[in-house]
Amino acid sequence: MAKLTIDGKEIEVPDGTSLFDACREARGEPLPHFCYHPDLSIAGVCRLCQVEVEGMPKLTIACNTGVRDGMVVSTRNERVTQAAQQILEMHLINHPVDCPICDQAGECGLQNQYMKYGLYDSEVEIADKVNKAKAQVIGPHVILDKERCVLCSRCVRFCDEVTGTSEMGIFNRGNRAEIGTAPGVELDNNYSLNTVDICPVGALTSRDFRFQKRVWMLKAANSICPGCATGCNVRLDHEAGRLYRIKPRYNPDVNGRWMCDRGRMLYKAVHDENRLLDPARGGQTLRWAELDTDLLAGDGGLFVTSAHQSLEEMFLLKKLAAGGTVCGGLAGSDTGDSDELLLNADHTPNRQGLGLLDLPEMNGAALAEAISGTTGPVVVHGGNPAGEDVVAAALRGHGRTVYIGSHDNETAQACNLVLPGAVWAEKAGIFANRDGRLQAFSQSVARAGSSREDWRILAELAGGEVPGSLRAVREELAEALDLTEVNLNKLPARGLAPVGATSGGED
Amino acid sequence: MSFEGLPAKATGKKMTFLESIYLVEIVRGLGVTISHLVKNIFATEAMPTMQYPEEKRVYSDRFRGRHHLMQREDGTPRCVACQMCSTYCPADCITIEGAEHPDPSIEKYPASFEIDLLRCVFCGLCEEACPCDAIRLDTGIYEIAADDRAKFVVDKEFLLHNKSDGTR
Amino acid sequence: MPIVLESLAKIVFMFLLILGMVPVLIWAERKGAAFIQDRTGPNRAAIGGVRLAGLVHPIADVLKLVFKEDVQPDARHKAMYNMAPWAAMTIAVSSYAVIPFGDFITIAGRKIPLVVADLQVGALYVLAVASLGTYGVVMGGWAANNKFTFLGGIRATAQMISYEISMGLALMGLMLVFASLRITDIVAGQGDLIFGFLPKWGVVVQPLGFVLFITAVFAETNRNPFDLPEGESEIVAGFHLEYSSLKFALFFMAEYCHMVVGAALISAFYFGGYQIPWLPRPVLEAHAGGLLTGKLIAIIIVSGIFAVLFLRRAQKERNKFGDARDREPRIGAGLWLMVAAGAAGALLLKPWHIGPQGAEMVASIAQIFAFVGKVVFFAWLFIWVRWTLPRFRYDQLMHLGWKVMLPLGLANLVVTAVVMALV
Ligand code: SF4
Ligand code: SF4
Ligand code: SF4
Ligand code: SF4
Ligand code: FES
Repeated sequence: MAKLTIDGKEIEVPDGTSLFDACREARGEPLPHFCYHPDLSIAGVCRLCQVEVEGMPKLTIACNTGVRDGMVVSTRNERVTQAAQQILEMHLINHPVDCPICDQAGECGLQNQYMKYGLYDSEVEIADKVNKAKAQVIGPHVILDKERCVLCSRCVRFCDEVTGTSEMGIFNRGNRAEIGTAPGVELDNNYSLNTVDICPVGALTSRDFRFQKRVWMLKAANSICPGCATGCNVRLDHEAGRLYRIKPRYNPDVNGRWMCDRGRMLYKAVHDENRLLDPARGGQTLRWAELDTDLLAGDGGLFVTSAHQSLEEMFLLKKLAAGGTVCGGLAGSDTGDSDELLLNADHTPNRQGLGLLDLPEMNGAALAEAISGTTGPVVVHGGNPAGEDVVAAALRGHGRTVYIGSHDNETAQACNLVLPGAVWAEKAGIFANRDGRLQAFSQSVARAGSSREDWRILAELAGGEVPGSLRAVREELAEALDLTEVNLNKLPARGLAPVGATSGGED
Repeated sequence: MSFEGLPAKATGKKMTFLESIYLVEIVRGLGVTISHLVKNIFATEAMPTMQYPEEKRVYSDRFRGRHHLMQREDGTPRCVACQMCSTYCPADCITIEGAEHPDPSIEKYPASFEIDLLRCVFCGLCEEACPCDAIRLDTGIYEIAADDRAKFVVDKEFLLHNKSDGTR
Repeated sequence: MPIVLESLAKIVFMFLLILGMVPVLIWAERKGAAFIQDRTGPNRAAIGGVRLAGLVHPIADVLKLVFKEDVQPDARHKAMYNMAPWAAMTIAVSSYAVIPFGDFITIAGRKIPLVVADLQVGALYVLAVASLGTYGVVMGGWAANNKFTFLGGIRATAQMISYEISMGLALMGLMLVFASLRITDIVAGQGDLIFGFLPKWGVVVQPLGFVLFITAVFAETNRNPFDLPEGESEIVAGFHLEYSSLKFALFFMAEYCHMVVGAALISAFYFGGYQIPWLPRPVLEAHAGGLLTGKLIAIIIVSGIFAVLFLRRAQKERNKFGDARDREPRIGAGLWLMVAAGAAGALLLKPWHIGPQGAEMVASIAQIFAFVGKVVFFAWLFIWVRWTLPRFRYDQLMHLGWKVMLPLGLANLVVTAVVMALV
């Protein structure tokens, strides 16, 4: 342990901590910085984080200095603040300051630092600024404005250290130093949008989000990415009932600070034209009030859920099934690409949940057989089992089929009664990720059309046998899962780890 | 703050008996009002009222009238859809959608720009917020009437060709 | 049978008088308010360019109100809601039945008293009907099922209860003086002179009673400074908040009818009704010819002056508007000239030589005019006061009613009684 004094405050930190982190702890806020990033190596190029260490003649950068016992550091005296201001002024010499058309404005490091540490009057002639390329498309997701770059090299280090793809580099020297992709290379990896996140300025911006919305207008809701079994923690940025982008949320036990590009694009499905908006029977649109559940009459039947549904919904479907057969959906559906970093080959968010609730998956042939074999109703909840022709045929052959889902697909086409459910951003629920970690997501936008939360639909179909609120459903679910110690209505921020799992990383 | 000529605080002056029975004061008040009435009957012309549609007051050049969007030399909007104005607008009545401009040196332009004149309070903050001097309230137009709410939501085309320095 | 016809004729006359005065009062209210506040007031509505200084506006208003949508609250009490404006209107005009608007008139040899119903207890009838006046307001306020209208109704009731007592007490003093409850007696009694020069008007013999009465009448008619039932700064529009279209118009008219009735009561009780001071009926009849001539000459002079004023305006404002309105001053000048010419023509008939029958007629008409003149003045007083005084606060209203006017009324009654007993 090292004891040091920062701004007159004594703190104790483990040996090997960087002075930057020690200062953050002592000050309650980080030092001004561009290049430092907790998940990347130290570059020490932006020179913003300079502090005064007693005994050292010159100011020193905190990010590249280790703590030493007895160090006396000041971070707020005039010398330090003046240095920060001057460095900032230097960063801005060739900066275009085109904030009005810059998508980063509102969450920009330069803007924030300037308001906090700058506030000088610029002496630079606009005509004297060095011009560089603007609005260069450098990959499927990312667009680059070289003028805005402060050469912090975060993006370069990310591509070197995290993805190992090394597309980015800094070229030339001095005034003409500029960021860019290696010749003939595109910034095309499944994690490229993370460079947009870590770029402290508007040099790297998202092509998808470009000019869609000014960021200060967005509201955020915490959620879980439904794209694969990893279950990255995400933030949904939305406004006026529309999702605009998905950003990763820090969870050291799951995704750290990253998420993949594929996951970020999933918000598009929410506003898809293909959404089911109204209940329909035999292709005839109904109102909820006109709904007749005669199809569900009779004992037995087959109840098929899917790994896309939340734990609560699976649980309710199981209850609804009562005497009938329950099935976890099509075995091996929705699998695909994977990588070492985050993306899992299982592209469903809750396949572990099926296991928890003991809902066996079937392959297409078995499922088709089960459908044809039952005399009771067939209820399919989510997923698209009819993607397999045998199942589609079986569904068409059966007279009493119900599909609860959010999008129009083969299964919706094949079923008699179609009930529009909500997508994940429109409802709350719990997913179990690949490790069986239970993570809750909450509603961010209003439901499309007259669609309803799935658990409500299931509760209605079950006819009063089920609790009237999600809270109560979760309480029953906890009992069924034997999780009596746990409050499923209030899961920990990092999710509920399965017994025996280890946890790491700082908060 | 103080108002010239007014006592700094209420004096709490006691009313005299005559004042306290009101009657005399009421009669005096009636005298004041009738004197105005009589005076005005015989000097109708001297009243300050303006006969509005026929006579119009001349306003200062700084009067904030209906907005107009400034044009570039080629007639396209000077606005870059930064939405500073709609952010600053206290009435939340500006709706802008940005889009990629074909000219890379301009980058961003407003694909749509709408102002709901019914909600606008003509504070001029949009004008003040604009970094490009793209929106101004200098048309001097204050006669804004329509027979349908929808007509008060004016679009980019309207705002671009909206008097003051030309066109329509 | 003739008596029925007579009464009908009198009722129709009264009705026309009151309803005819409503638009004029509305006009006077607007124009008067405007001039008092240094504004020009309504001057836009026109028929063929003629605006009559805003007198066309009431017509335009009526048309507008008739054609407006009648918006009604869902949760209203249907019957009461629909009845309330009518109740307000009916009650407002019904106290007029007992007020004499002239002494008598002789038509076809029949001497007809100029009052619809000469009740023994006319003064009591007036009090009774005045109390009924709140019903329209309360019914409207309650039936509309809105908090504000309800508050307005409650305020009207409380105000009524507080002020009708003072009203009654003030009237009791008057009744003692004239020893009658019959209004015709009271008015006839005011034709006398005291000490040979002072008309024995109610206001002279009962000055305090007059002040109390006029205050109470203002309160009963819900006019400023006692218009708390409407109190738009606190309860939006009070009792008539939920009324629109014709029903609102009725409430509006009822208010003005109330004013006319209030003015008529004040003039009948305290200002000698139809009596012309120093000119009792016999004198009037004796000098009828001279009076008529004088009147005609006065008309010629006054309309002449008006005609000249209009001509001047016509000259000064030539083509001021550039439309039909430019004709207005010339039309006005022409009309006044016609009036002057008519009066001059009437002079040719030698009015100073009218016979006794004609003299009687002239006297009756002169008295009716005297009464109408007084009513118009007091109706104007209502308007005048409204644009002079601010509204009372509710506690001030109650304070004035119970702690000032009630004791004063009692004192007035006692003193009057003692004086009457001694004299
Ligand atoms: S990077 Fe920041 S400072 Fe530069 S233009 Fe964008 S928002 Fe403005
Ligand atoms: S593009 Fe952004 S992250 Fe990369 S070096 Fe420039 S400022 Fe840093
Ligand atoms: S004038 Fe004020 S209220 Fe109107 S659009 Fe501009 S900022 Fe908004
Ligand atoms: S502030 Fe100016 S440039 Fe920005 S959106 Fe508004 S009008 Fe356009
Ligand atoms: S953060 Fe330390 S030099 Fe950039």
